[in-house]
Amino acid sequence: MNGPQLCDIRPCLEGVIPAVMATCAADGTPNVAYISQVYYVDERHVALSFQFFNKTRQNILANPYATVLLLHPQTAAYYRLHLRYLRTETEGPLFEGMKAQLAGIASHTGMQDVFRLLGSDIYAVERIEALAGEPMPAPPARGGMLAAARRCSERLARGTSLDEALNAVLATLTDFMEVRHAIVLMLDGAGQRLYTVASCGYPTSGVGSEIGLGQGVIGMAARERTPVRIMHMTNAYLYSQAMRSSLEGSAPDAAAGPEIPYPGLKEPHSQLAVPVMSAGRLLGVLFVESPRDMVFGFEDEDMLVAMAGHLGAAIDLLQAGSEAPEAAPAAPPRPSASGEPLQVRRFASNGSIFIGGEYLIKGVAGAILWKLLKEHAQGRCDFSNRELRLDAAIGLPDVGDNLEARLVLLRRRLDEHGPHLRIEKTGRGRFRLALTRPVSLTEVA
Amino acid sequence: MSVPPIPAALVDMVGRGVSVHVASRDARMRPSVMRGLGLDLDLAAGRITVFVSREQAGQLVLDLSANGHVAVVVSEPLSHRAMQLKATRATLRNAVAADEAVLARYLASMERAVQSVGHAPRMARAMLAHRIEDLVAVSFTPDQAFDQTPGPKAGAALGGQP
Repeated sequence: MNGPQLCDIRPCLEGVIPAVMATCAADGTPNVAYISQVYYVDERHVALSFQFFNKTRQNILANPYATVLLLHPQTAAYYRLHLRYLRTETEGPLFEGMKAQLAGIASHTGMQDVFRLLGSDIYAVERIEALAGEPMPAPPARGGMLAAARRCSERLARGTSLDEALNAVLATLTDFMEVRHAIVLMLDGAGQRLYTVASCGYPTSGVGSEIGLGQGVIGMAARERTPVRIMHMTNAYLYSQAMRSSLEGSAPDAAAGPEIPYPGLKEPHSQLAVPVMSAGRLLGVLFVESPRDMVFGFEDEDMLVAMAGHLGAAIDLLQAGSEAPEAAPAAPPRPSASGEPLQVRRFASNGSIFIGGEYLIKGVAGAILWKLLKEHAQGRCDFSNRELRLDAAIGLPDVGDNLEARLVLLRRRLDEHGPHLRIEKTGRGRFRLALTRPVSLTEVA
Repeated sequence: MSVPPIPAALVDMVGRGVSVHVASRDARMRPSVMRGLGLDLDLAAGRITVFVSREQAGQLVLDLSANGHVAVVVSEPLSHRAMQLKATRATLRNAVAADEAVLARYLASMERAVQSVGHAPRMARAMLAHRIEDLVAVSFTPDQAFDQTPGPKAGAALGGQP
């Protein structure tokens, strides 16, 4: 009879119930100890958390065979893994994924000052035994995930713009996966920061807010190009807190410019971030969170990874599509701008743009807006993606510039900021700047 | 000849309800392990007895019979306090009806212990389900005892010989 496969026992690998590990010293003395984490690597490997230089550690370095007893958290069925130690990783995607999971486990069990991941010990799974017993019935299998994947795929395939692609992903999360809080972030051209392009479930959208690579769950998922999932409240990855304290701790930094607040929950109990990739490049991060514990399991992670793959491909294809502008539409009547001129100021020191007294945007999106406004003052209102791409002054990187994402960001910031400046799509790769009030442009040195 | 005492800390913990796991190894130094389904301390004799299921722990029972090397970890689910005991001369016998009282007492303590960490008592009943005729009683006098509570003192010897 074939024994269970690792994929059959993934609920045992969620860190809900500690596992028990037996090893044997070179002199034949057995050792048995609790381990907080047995982490699913792939169908033939697990990683165990190496936290202390203890007897277990000494033993596996001398004799690589280990036997681990797992308990199913819902049914109380027992499984035994027969393992052979291969190697230890102390950085990289697997390590960071485990470290985040362990931080959640540690906080949940009051061990945050004790548990610290020193390494991810990778073991080959040589055999899995399902043990006799009287387990409780398994809860009904979670349905609908495949249908949700299909809906998401259909919506993405129908979409013709980045806006629609982002909406397709957020709608799938809310309509089919009961996700209440989600954020999509894109990587900026320099590849060091992520900026929010879409969100749902928050009092403010946070579009334009930024997170550094490696910062929090989102930044770590981006830096390591790996899913990061936490099932319990932990301070270890709470970047909103880090941001608050850094803002309180120093005078406003003129060079950095003003910040748009990060929209996320103050005390997330469950968090899951997956990288959005295409053709081997990181494009951004898809992130979901919840104020409750243990909301996102491995199935949610699988689903988000699948969605992120579709989204990444869609972003790349839409980007390529936007290269070929359609014929310019017939010149429309210029929208009439009337009333008091809006004061629009650009600060040369950091490229930030203010409308009236309020910060709007900086960076590439800011440079785009400034160009549009200056040309608008000369009488133009229709523009193409192509000309933006060719304009060196805007500072788009040569590769993977994600111009569409900058335009989505700019359009959404303008939408949120007031009714007087609008960017309207007029065709593939074309758009119009519409002003309902005149503007007065000032460059501030 | 005096009997080496069972560590007082262990007596305290067992009263409150502890998970117990038993390990041994075969002639090729491959480890075997299973959860104990019952636990009893004989303070007068300095002996600890753990019950395991032959059906669940076939290899472990073979290994214990063959070489007597045993490692046992007990852990209090809520506090994570844990202790490991080791011996080289474990003895085995089949469980008998007279052991039922010990097993029932242990189950009751584990129902309380799993509730303390948020599981229903039926979790403990499923974890510890057994038929008395399938159980083996593993008894030993610990040669060594170690603190195994996660943290800086884990691994420190507790009484016994180092």
